[in-house]
Amino acid sequence: MATTSVSKKRMVRINGCVASAQAAKYADVDVIAAYPIRPYTATMMALAQMVANGELDAEYIVADSEHSQLSIAHGAASAGARVFTGSSGVGVQFAYELYSPISGSRMPVQMMIADRTLDPPGDFGSEHTDALSTRDMGWIMGWSCDAQEAFDNHLIAYRIGEDPRVLLPQMVCQDGFFVSHITGDVELPDAGQVKEFLPPYKHPYPLDPRHPVSHGPQIMPEQGPPLQLERARAMEESMAVIEQAHEEFEKIFGRKYDPWLEEFMTDDAEVVFFLQGAHAVTARFAIKHMRDKGLKVGMVRLRTIRPYPTDRVNEVLSKFKVVGVIETNMGLGSVSSGGSLYAEVCAALYESQKRPLILSFMAGMGGEAIVLKEFYWMTQKMVDAQKRGKIEKRTHWVGFEE
Amino acid sequence: MATIEVQRQILPILGSPNQGARFYNPELPSSEPFVPGHRTCAGCGPSIQYRMTSKAAGDNTILVGPTGCMYVANSSYLCTPYNVPWAHTQIGSAGSFTAGVAAAYEAMIRKGKWKGEFPNIICEAGDGSASDIGLASISGALYRNHDCLIICYDNEQYANTGIQASSRTPYGGMTTFSPPGPLVPEGKKLFPKDLARMMAAGHPHCYVATASVGYPIDLMNKVRKGLNHKGAAYLMVYTPCQKGFVYETPRSIDLGRLVVECGLYPMWEWNPEKRAYDYSFRPASMRPVSEYLKLQGRFGHLHAEHIASLQKFANEQWRMLGVQLPEALIQAADAKNLVNMASAAQAEAVAQTI
Repeated sequence: MATTSVSKKRMVRINGCVASAQAAKYADVDVIAAYPIRPYTATMMALAQMVANGELDAEYIVADSEHSQLSIAHGAASAGARVFTGSSGVGVQFAYELYSPISGSRMPVQMMIADRTLDPPGDFGSEHTDALSTRDMGWIMGWSCDAQEAFDNHLIAYRIGEDPRVLLPQMVCQDGFFVSHITGDVELPDAGQVKEFLPPYKHPYPLDPRHPVSHGPQIMPEQGPPLQLERARAMEESMAVIEQAHEEFEKIFGRKYDPWLEEFMTDDAEVVFFLQGAHAVTARFAIKHMRDKGLKVGMVRLRTIRPYPTDRVNEVLSKFKVVGVIETNMGLGSVSSGGSLYAEVCAALYESQKRPLILSFMAGMGGEAIVLKEFYWMTQKMVDAQKRGKIEKRTHWVGFEE
Repeated sequence: MATIEVQRQILPILGSPNQGARFYNPELPSSEPFVPGHRTCAGCGPSIQYRMTSKAAGDNTILVGPTGCMYVANSSYLCTPYNVPWAHTQIGSAGSFTAGVAAAYEAMIRKGKWKGEFPNIICEAGDGSASDIGLASISGALYRNHDCLIICYDNEQYANTGIQASSRTPYGGMTTFSPPGPLVPEGKKLFPKDLARMMAAGHPHCYVATASVGYPIDLMNKVRKGLNHKGAAYLMVYTPCQKGFVYETPRSIDLGRLVVECGLYPMWEWNPEKRAYDYSFRPASMRPVSEYLKLQGRFGHLHAEHIASLQKFANEQWRMLGVQLPEALIQAADAKNLVNMASAAQAEAVAQTI
């Protein structure tokens, strides 16, 4: 707080990485753990400059690996500090060991992820597999689709994760390049708004010599399940906190987000795309284009994947005849033999009385943009399935088929 | 708002550093941050070290315990031996988690979020953590110079998982990953990684020292010097493991002295101001390595040539400390002058007890 510059509300033109760095500054983080990997690095570059300029009073640590980044974050959060870290691609996975210990010790560490494909072969482009591979580790997780939403999601995530009813870490994800490196208009708030929205971090049991506690002692097998149940419940109970935080955010900042699903042109839609992240921006454009041609197509964008809004997904997707899941991730040998999102959609719809047909589209892979022609192609596949009343095949690799 | 200056603790250095374990020192603090309530073995070297270290540090202390025997045997859920805050971390996270705690206190004190003197932040890493899987994380913490003390309690093996070889296991040491057999009569073929010198050479701005549970006051003083040093410090402490070394339980402290007297655990300090080693520590006597080896089942299979190799290694250590070697130790490095430890059958019987 000491040297953080107090600012008035203003519009700036910044990319997603810088928006994330700005959010960390507004949150007045105490400890930052950095390690370079593209494309998220730009966030840490921006934060390094803020610390060097005296705009943000924080310990800026250049770690020796992503594993160390997350361990530093774990240690600092355990001592009672507000912590910010991040990564991309294989870096997310290098730190894999720490995800469960951090959520298990109920430390609300925040991690920014700018997605990158996993190796091989060292592709810089965005695929969501990096973060999605950690989705069941007890972290609150969701994607933004532009820089403004990235900024907002960081503040909202701190508010949710640090709530004493939740105390869980958060992965605030954005697509590499499409969000992280594309500049957009971002409204930076008044410092007072952030102060009103985000109370100071106060963990109930930090490592404080005046109130000694032991964190993470060895347990016997029968002592494990009660702790796992508590963590599972925290995840479930976070749903109400997530909704409350989004309502509060709207009141204070004036921007309204449905915490779970964004619906676009779905009122009379018969076929819809279901996706996460930045491809929503191109999807909105494509849908308008297709609407002009008379196609009844819409989009449902998942904003929070953990906790997964099963009932909302069921309720919303049951309105349609066909759902086309745009994966942007690899689920090798998975249910659809395509991506891992398909299974999550199917499971949520299993109990529906009006189950739509579901297709999985492997599109936007390797960080390629999904072009208009491909949206038409995918929509045609959905319309064909609707006419036929059944799907031809579950998974389509877009661009590799006639 | 102006930043708040961080106040740091200065702990007094105790007198009579070279006195034995059974000597009563009235300067010893009465505080006991590490109390009964753990499940370590009788005579456990690492837990003796834990008690001395935490006693030297006092109550304004935070302990970090990466996975190892001092995690598993010390802490049992709903029962804790720690009177100060303690946190488990992953075995590879020794330096990094500790750095996080230290950084948090720097920021929180500076920003007025926590009031008080900067706590002693001590990491207790086993040699598996410190020399293998957590080496990079510790090097990172030392390099960045966080105000913390990282201790390697060196029992020369992965003891918690059932006695496996680490990079600190001595040449000839039998473990379940380095068993002796007809093709590998010596068991462990490699000499140990010189971890403490790596730390001193690579991070010369840090206070680095070696110590042994055989010299408690010296150990406690090195802990205090490490804590008083503003910045990172590293201490490597010999802590015998009855279970893995296979010796008579009451002899832990004796081994802690013999290992130094036999030249197998050189005692030194790295002075970061002078950028020089301090080799002034001298044990009461010098002995051949066989006197240390013969007390431990893990060396029971060694042949004369292996003992000679270890004596040669010890002699090199003495020379590095600048000590003139007596003729007897030079003779003891020649296999002709030595006998085998035990028969293969006897050694195998001992091996079964691990």
